Amino acid sequence: MRRRGVSISEAFGGFRLWWLVLPAFLFFLAFFVVPVLSLLAISFNKTVPGVVTLTDAFTLDNFVRIFTRPLYYEAILRSIGLGVVVAAVALVLGYPLAFLIAKTEHPGRNTALMILVLASMQLDMVIRMYGLMVLMGDTGLINSALIGLHLIDEPLPLMYNAFGVVVGLVQVTLPFMVLSLVGIIRAIHPSLEEAARSLGASRGEAFRRVVLPLSMPGILAGSLLVFALSISSYVVPALMGGWKVVVLPIHIYQQIAEAGRWQFGAAVAAILFLTSLVAVFVYHRAAVLTSGGRT
Amino acid sequence: MRDEPAVSWPMRAVAILALVILLLPVVIVVLAGLNAGEYLTFPPKGLSLRWVIAFLSSPTFMGAYLYSFVLALVATLISTVLGTLAAVYLSRSRSRAAAILRGFFMLPVVLPGVVLGLALYVFYVTTDIGLARSFPGLLIGHVLVTFPFVIATVTASMVGFDLSLEEAARSLGASPLTAFMKITLRLIAPGISAGAIFAFIVSFGQFETTLFLTVPNHEPLPMAMYISLRYKFEPTAAAAGIFAIALVALSTVVSARLVSLRRVFRA
Repeated sequence: MRRRGVSISEAFGGFRLWWLVLPAFLFFLAFFVVPVLSLLAISFNKTVPGVVTLTDAFTLDNFVRIFTRPLYYEAILRSIGLGVVVAAVALVLGYPLAFLIAKTEHPGRNTALMILVLASMQLDMVIRMYGLMVLMGDTGLINSALIGLHLIDEPLPLMYNAFGVVVGLVQVTLPFMVLSLVGIIRAIHPSLEEAARSLGASRGEAFRRVVLPLSMPGILAGSLLVFALSISSYVVPALMGGWKVVVLPIHIYQQIAEAGRWQFGAAVAAILFLTSLVAVFVYHRAAVLTSGGRT
Repeated sequence: MRDEPAVSWPMRAVAILALVILLLPVVIVVLAGLNAGEYLTFPPKGLSLRWVIAFLSSPTFMGAYLYSFVLALVATLISTVLGTLAAVYLSRSRSRAAAILRGFFMLPVVLPGVVLGLALYVFYVTTDIGLARSFPGLLIGHVLVTFPFVIATVTASMVGFDLSLEEAARSLGASPLTAFMKITLRLIAPGISAGAIFAFIVSFGQFETTLFLTVPNHEPLPMAMYISLRYKFEPTAAAAGIFAIALVALSTVVSARLVSLRRVFRA
């Protein structure tokens, strides 16, 4: 089929195939590439509160400030720390669910599980946070049940702290972890596990020494994806952390909306973007390995 | 093989816990919206439709729901047309440019939503083209974030598409455009519909990109719920959530019938 690549342009006479992609490309150029690049450029301008015009007087002031003031570099470390914890928890919870879906042969049940995971991934995050907040607040369902049963006297601090943010982010990112793992677990041929069992390995040993190592690319890909999503989230730390857990996206919002410090906010945004880009780049490499080069 | 279930019981227990974590918040929202009391208690005070009725007549939440609906509809229309055209190119061209563009169009998923919203906001303000805090400005952000979902779904549905079908139509005398419209477009129609549904849901639930782009006093539903959640748990907001949950559940079931979800999400 060597004619495949050109057949549509032949079929349409003088029509060139790449014309089809032109509208989308121009749209992206105008409203994605230019805005993102100008945001990066502005982050190298001196911060003047209330003023946002790109000048050619570039300086590293904003970045120096971010990396020398504890208020800011601690926010970077807090974001990264939360991302790591959330990725670990999502892996521990997500792997068994992915395993269960991969091993469910019944087509109807399998589709039902996939739909549950996908629907919960796509549902508006604010709605899910509403549910979690009703559950975990000081007067929420968990605390009022525990107090009602006289198990505790004071409500447990379940949210408006780092714990609440982690629970919220795990809830939001879990479907992405599951979807990263289902394919790779399914691709592990059952005969490999059976071979290990017939050579005398216990079920746990066969899992630890055969299935788990073979799932590593999916584990890596899922963890990096969850990490990138966690450090990018504004709404979860804002609601579940009640502004007490100040992570990078919250700093960005405060710098822009409250202080009008555009250039500095842009610099914080650049750092967030860079961190998530590194994670996604490694994720992409891992995903390529997972699919054996077929992206 | 020994006679044992495919998944051991500790695995099964954690998997069920994971499902509970995914679904419990949704169940709570539904209960909160249908509960008879001023706020949700456990056990609930009984079921009633009072909050659903309150939502249907609430200018804040009903207005936000309709606003989100229209916004998602227009964003979906634009990104489905742009995305389908681009996907036809991406899946047929064997050039290096196509491989690079495929990655390029996925970038809005990689870029944190707050950063994308801020970049657009700064761009609108500095260029002063009247898009800052306007409906078209917000719409552009939503087209960008929904576009990758259309591309992913439509290209997935074109994998294995047999070009000889289109060629057969041509050899029987159909014009190139007729062959494309009557053969190709009909065959990939389920993929396009599924892509449009994904785009709609992503736009409808979009919060992060919206943050810097909202038009004052015209908040989309996620933003309106966020604002109300900062102060109190309004059961009216939960009732609005029920309608959003129903929309997403319905869309996912429909799209599962249209395309292989596994292929789209590479799972």
